[in-house]
Amino acid sequence: MFKIIHRYMDFLPATMAVLFLFGQTVCDLYLPTITANLVNKGILQHDFPYIIAIGCRMLIVAGLGLIAATVNVFLASRQSMKIGAMLRSKLYSKVLNFAGQEMNHFGTSTLITRTTNDVVQVQTVMFQVLRQMLRSPMILVTACVLAYIKAPRLTVIYLITLPILTVLCLLVLHYATPLFHSIQGKTDHINQIFREGLTGVRVIRAFNHEDHEQERFDQVNRDYTQTGVKAYSLVACLFPAMTLVLSLTDVGIIMYGGHMIAFKTLNVGDLIAFITYTTQILTSFMRLSRMFVSLPRASASAKRINEVLETPHSVRYEPTTTDASQQTTSSNPETGQSSVPAIEFRHVSFRYPGAERLALDDVSFKVPRDSTIAVIGGTGAGKSTLIDLLAHLYEPASGQVLVQGRPVNSIPANQLHHYLTVAQQKTVLFSGTVRTNLLKANPHATTDEIWHALDIAQASDFVKNAGGLDAAVQQGGHNFSGGQRQRLAIARTLVANADIYVFDDTFSALDFQTDANLRMALATDPQMKGKVICIVAQRVATVLNADQIIVLDNGKLVGCGTHEELARTNQTYQQIMASQLKQGGGQHA
Amino acid sequence: MHNGFAPHLRQRSKAEQAQNFWGTTWRLLRYLKPWHWLLFLSIIFAIAAVIFSVSAPKILGQATTTIYAGVKRGRAMGASVSQWPIDFHKVGHYAVQVLILYGCSAIFSLLQQLLTTQLAQRVVYTLRRDLKRKMRRLPVSFYDTHDHGDIMSRMVNDMDNVAATLQQGLIQIVTSAFTFIGVLVLMLTISLRLTLVALITIPIGMVIVGVISPKAQRLFGKQQATLGTINNQVEETYTGQQVVKLFGDEKREQERFEKGNKQYFNAAWKAQFFSILVFPAMNFVRNLGFLMVAVVGSFLVAQGQLAIGAVQAILQYQEQFSRPITQLANLANVFQQTIASSERIFAILDEPEMKSDTVKKAQPAQTSGPVITFKDVKFSYRPDQPLIDHFNLDVAPRQTIAIVGPTGAGKSTLINLLERFYDVNAGKILLHGVNTQDMTRADLRRHFAIVPQETWLFHGTIMDNISFGHPGASAEDVYQAAGLARADHFIRTLPDGYQTVLGEGSTEISTGQQQLLTIARAFAANPEILILDEATSSVDTRTESLIQAAMDNLRANRTTFIVAHRLSTVQNADQIIVLNHGHIVETGNHESLLAKGGFYARLYNSQFRHALR
Repeated sequence: MFKIIHRYMDFLPATMAVLFLFGQTVCDLYLPTITANLVNKGILQHDFPYIIAIGCRMLIVAGLGLIAATVNVFLASRQSMKIGAMLRSKLYSKVLNFAGQEMNHFGTSTLITRTTNDVVQVQTVMFQVLRQMLRSPMILVTACVLAYIKAPRLTVIYLITLPILTVLCLLVLHYATPLFHSIQGKTDHINQIFREGLTGVRVIRAFNHEDHEQERFDQVNRDYTQTGVKAYSLVACLFPAMTLVLSLTDVGIIMYGGHMIAFKTLNVGDLIAFITYTTQILTSFMRLSRMFVSLPRASASAKRINEVLETPHSVRYEPTTTDASQQTTSSNPETGQSSVPAIEFRHVSFRYPGAERLALDDVSFKVPRDSTIAVIGGTGAGKSTLIDLLAHLYEPASGQVLVQGRPVNSIPANQLHHYLTVAQQKTVLFSGTVRTNLLKANPHATTDEIWHALDIAQASDFVKNAGGLDAAVQQGGHNFSGGQRQRLAIARTLVANADIYVFDDTFSALDFQTDANLRMALATDPQMKGKVICIVAQRVATVLNADQIIVLDNGKLVGCGTHEELARTNQTYQQIMASQLKQGGGQHA
Repeated sequence: MHNGFAPHLRQRSKAEQAQNFWGTTWRLLRYLKPWHWLLFLSIIFAIAAVIFSVSAPKILGQATTTIYAGVKRGRAMGASVSQWPIDFHKVGHYAVQVLILYGCSAIFSLLQQLLTTQLAQRVVYTLRRDLKRKMRRLPVSFYDTHDHGDIMSRMVNDMDNVAATLQQGLIQIVTSAFTFIGVLVLMLTISLRLTLVALITIPIGMVIVGVISPKAQRLFGKQQATLGTINNQVEETYTGQQVVKLFGDEKREQERFEKGNKQYFNAAWKAQFFSILVFPAMNFVRNLGFLMVAVVGSFLVAQGQLAIGAVQAILQYQEQFSRPITQLANLANVFQQTIASSERIFAILDEPEMKSDTVKKAQPAQTSGPVITFKDVKFSYRPDQPLIDHFNLDVAPRQTIAIVGPTGAGKSTLINLLERFYDVNAGKILLHGVNTQDMTRADLRRHFAIVPQETWLFHGTIMDNISFGHPGASAEDVYQAAGLARADHFIRTLPDGYQTVLGEGSTEISTGQQQLLTIARAFAANPEILILDEATSSVDTRTESLIQAAMDNLRANRTTFIVAHRLSTVQNADQIIVLNHGHIVETGNHESLLAKGGFYARLYNSQFRHALR
């Protein structure tokens, strides 16, 4: 919380806001002081013109108070919302630039919550800080000062009240804060179980686990309720206790003040002023106590936001000295030296955080231009990791990845897509239209180019049926089937204008026939001439025709060559083949 | 989990306004009914607390009057006295009275708050429990056709709104209303004229609230709308973060976001400004009242028509008097939102439920006949799109039934019917000759174990996740199941082994490994009938052949339905059901279907066309 205030609060407007808040407080508290004069001089001496004059003064003070308060509210709302907007914008850009590692570390859903709800929490409390929270102590202090001016000896009573109130607040804060923090955690837990019930409804029902689920939920629900009762009961004690302390103050003022009046050391009007101060202190503390509920929530939110903002990027961008000279040649394979491989891995190793085993272990290979390569291997063999490193979504632990002769970490993140484009295993479509989705890959693509890409991806039929390029795509693309989404994603990749096209197990969701048609269209397309096509697959049938097949097993490169070579010499490849031939019923033997 | 075929309709209502305000209010109040005595007591206590606290300033004023009287008497006697003759006996008497009043008020207010807390927490507990219970009685079609984010938002945000209002708003209405009335009555008993002066501020206050509040409401609506827009963008780009990066689209997304963020900022600070402006404005009105009471009161006191303590009391009341008006105006908005929230929660509670099956007791006996029989089954997700018509199938014990077809052909539909996630429109499905509709769903499902298309594991240990299939399974059972699913090895290499906690933010395991765990879960269940919904599609081929071997053992004594992607399973299946566009186009075994040269043959041959090229 304080970190955020320190980093993102604009000092000048915030100070102004506090100053004007102080102005309002002084005006509010000055009124009883004037009233005291009214009583002391006006009433006791029957001075009617004085009473009118005092009335006018009070009106001016009240007006000034209104102006000060308005300026404070204006500054406070702008300042708090500005902090919110800044945090949101910072988070958004931070997350957009996160590498896969950071994304996995947090998980998408909590990042969404942090950018949306948590920021709103913080900005709301920020406003309360600038408007409400400082007001209570200000009122207390100002009341004490004014009281001291009026009657130094009577101020003793406030000097007793003040520490008691403070201790009371601190005590409740001390005991309630952990409770409200724990409530926050328990809310998350309840929501998590409820969400699991939504996503896992089929499994839960199929295994007759409904009773158990309900029991699990009830348990957390009960736990939450008990903590809630405890926390709110504690806060509930605060208000009556404060009332009691302040009524004691009132009585003290009357008794002690009465005696002072009797001995002519105090005026009656001052007594009335003191009692009004007490009421105002009470009101302000009541407002302060309500903040106890929102403060722990906001500080938890602030902590979660800071966690994201302070996460270092695991992927580094290191511009090389030859940066400028290479940039012109490398993005265009025609003019570049043909001897430079399109893709090169030099002794690349990678380990996921916390993993014992290397996900990729000393992998080296070269891919010449104008060729089709395939990567094959079982689950956990390191296929997707290899692609993620190529796309610089992760930083290798050691070794170097080069694209068109340039190390990927010397290519700025917003340039890399000129070199290579990837269709991922998991399809993501955005709400909008088919056109807006495809234009994401290349904002300058023409309608013809888009249709051409859809043709290759075997997607033009259903796009036409859905109403053409301007057919609506719902969030997540849920108005299309899984296979259709996959084909749209493939088309999107084809729209991009890059040197290297990677299909990361993209054909898995397609049926055999569509898969075959698509690969045929891809292989024969004239626009793909001179490009590198990289296909990641599990089926041998899919990779048969590649110029070069890279075989991965347990993160190690165990084979590299054509199908014929590997089929003859490579043990792992033979095993994969054998398992699939058995399945394929010897069809291609 | 939605199965890709069921119609996925999004039903998100953005309306903040309640459709049926009073109906919903009444219904929410009915939730308080089991604790009506709690509610009743807290209202009584709230009123008592108000009465006691409201009476105190008047007594305090009388104390001041007594002091002032002493001063006046002393003045009349001349300045020679060293001490004003104040009746301290009387002042002390008043002081004790004030203490008692405030003390009682504090006790009652404490009791009231404690009761309200109990009430609010219990009501929200019940609401939450009911919502969860309801979810359990809703058909799977509800889950398939409703946006999960929307349901979650009802569970989280709307529930939060209701809780906050019950905790703070409900009693505040009572307190505010009674404070207003109580203060008014007491002011009237003190001085009619001064009360009238104080009352002048009410219409002014009402005008201010009436002008500012609707404007704030409008701006608030705009703020919520713009917030919705940027939240949607966040949700979408975060989900597709890698895609955005891979296409180098970060800059344009950031620009789009900045635009929305700016719009939100402009709406938000204005909304905040105007909604809070009410308070200083009302403060000004209060001060206005304060000074009028002070000036007019001074005249009256000076003329000897009023006691000084009366002015002091009315000044104190003035402070308490304007607050309820602001609070009530504020509460009106809060209540609008709360009722709209409750309505969204009740909307789920009102969804049509599955047919109850508590009275059904049919138990299938092990017979020699077919295990499963589809008899003239007719089914469709939507009445206007018939899918399955007059479907007949006999499944003998230990047979393997493969369901094949292109993507999106509706292969999960048969699974949905078998497990009774959906019920047939006509015809019947028999288990050992007993209509599955005559059995309870639980009894029916005990015969099956499922490995779903999308892996679903819950937040808990691997041990718990595997024994999910067989509650009460021993650790040995779990090890054995994991071993059969070829998951034992990788589990033991994890730092915490079987006690590894799965879930967001904890140890991550690969999709293939998750798949293995769901298979282990099915092994642990040891069912009569096995359902594999494209279960092995993301396990690599080598691992799969290992699983295949284990599966063959398992299948030896089991009837199996497989939604198949792989040809090996298809070929070895006893019967193959071929689907296209949701319809069953062919049934038979591999040889007979190939010989037929129909859809299946085309589908099958296409796989190797390119491989052989």
